[in-house]
Amino acid sequence: MTNILDDYALMSPLRHRNTWLKLVIVCFGLLVGVSSTSPITPLFIALCMSFTTIALGRAPLKLYLKLLLAPVGFALTGVIIIAFFSGSGQELLSFELAGYLFSVRADGLELALLVLSRSLSGMCCLYFLALTTPMIELFAVLKASRFPESFIELSMLIYRYIFVFLDMALSIRYAQTVRLGYSNFRRSIHSLGMLASTLFVRSWEQGDKLFLAMNSRCYDGKMTLFEVQRPVGAIELLLTSAYFLSVLALFYFTRNISIV
Amino acid sequence: MHIMEGFLPTPWWQLWFVVSIPVIAFGIYKMNKLINEKREVLPLLAVAGAFIFVLSSLKLPSVVGSCSHPTGTGVAAIMFGPAITAVLGTIVLIYQAIFLAHGGLTTLGANVFSMGILGPVVAYLVYKAGMKANLNFYLVVFLATALGDWATYVTTSVQLALAYPAGDVLTFAGFMSSFVKFAGVFAVTQVPLAIMEGAVSALLFKYVVNVKSDILVEMNVLEDSVVRKLRGNPA
Repeated sequence: MTNILDDYALMSPLRHRNTWLKLVIVCFGLLVGVSSTSPITPLFIALCMSFTTIALGRAPLKLYLKLLLAPVGFALTGVIIIAFFSGSGQELLSFELAGYLFSVRADGLELALLVLSRSLSGMCCLYFLALTTPMIELFAVLKASRFPESFIELSMLIYRYIFVFLDMALSIRYAQTVRLGYSNFRRSIHSLGMLASTLFVRSWEQGDKLFLAMNSRCYDGKMTLFEVQRPVGAIELLLTSAYFLSVLALFYFTRNISIV
Repeated sequence: MHIMEGFLPTPWWQLWFVVSIPVIAFGIYKMNKLINEKREVLPLLAVAGAFIFVLSSLKLPSVVGSCSHPTGTGVAAIMFGPAITAVLGTIVLIYQAIFLAHGGLTTLGANVFSMGILGPVVAYLVYKAGMKANLNFYLVVFLATALGDWATYVTTSVQLALAYPAGDVLTFAGFMSSFVKFAGVFAVTQVPLAIMEGAVSALLFKYVVNVKSDILVEMNVLEDSVVRKLRGNPA
């Protein structure tokens, strides 16, 4: 948790591209991925997005793989359940464990693979957004799309405070660890409670101070943002449309294919 | 308990958005009213949101060996009420999806419903009922957060079982069989986790009462007399 993805986004060369274009690419990937009926299209999307993030966005490969690994483990648990318990077709594998019969059926496995690939493609799209677009740029988009003012204001303030508190929490935890605060289970529960309460009290005071500081600078509930104009270049447009067309074509041709 | 991006198939993820959006809209409406009334609330709400995010990103040592994290929404529900917690929860979930790819954007509706709406509502109701019944404050906090956590995880299992019922067609029997399986597998981590989160939240309130109880009185979480009783100097 010490390295927030935003740091990489700020350094990425793709940062200086049009935010709307990136958002369209991500949303397109998410929607096609989730509505695809064979695992091939989502895998293709995942591959394209990963390539763009690493090669064009200059995200470190090692970090990227490590990032992907964490949610994949999470997704696998759900997928395994689907593989074992859904489906009604022909049995591929079955065994008995502690009196219960476990069996993987063909269509269950198919569904599990589909869900896993959808999940993977979604993650790749989200990481593309996370690693190439700093949050600040997204706020400008939110403003332009007429979200409720207070909602945006609140998100901006939360965004700012996440970093303040993360620093605070990490240093408190470090101090607690040095004093053996996490040496056994009982103690770690206690330490965590203490950390959370200190964080709460301090954040409360910080909120008071923030209000005072903003008020004395004539804050009236609206913060104005500086929005940079970034026109979409011809090459980007060409690449994006080529990508869209190939994904759609793949989507169309693989819609009835089953791989198991 | 986040549902991953791409995990819910087509009719379901839209459906959960349809369910969640009115609640969020109501939360925003309520929040706007509060802000217009008392402008100084906004920064406080912001730090509360950041607090939820940071708390949910701290890892909790788990009994089974896997690491998991407290949700923090139970605490927020007790302090701010469920409507505002829904808005804060939504923002935090968006950040988690974009920063950490934890959860997702298409499954945001489902996640908001389980983590931002149902869990906090249950926590809040348990808290109110417990305080009315004059139970010990820390016990009530423990129960509220633990039950809120369980409500979240049961909802997630329901959402997954609705999307992936046994036998591929949504029937009640198929839904139940697949629900029992999802719930059973998640129970391994979620049951002890919720108990731990309850313990941590109760401790959190204990320290806050000791150090800065006036905050809780100011926010109408606790009454003055209760705080005095908890601190052991009835006056």
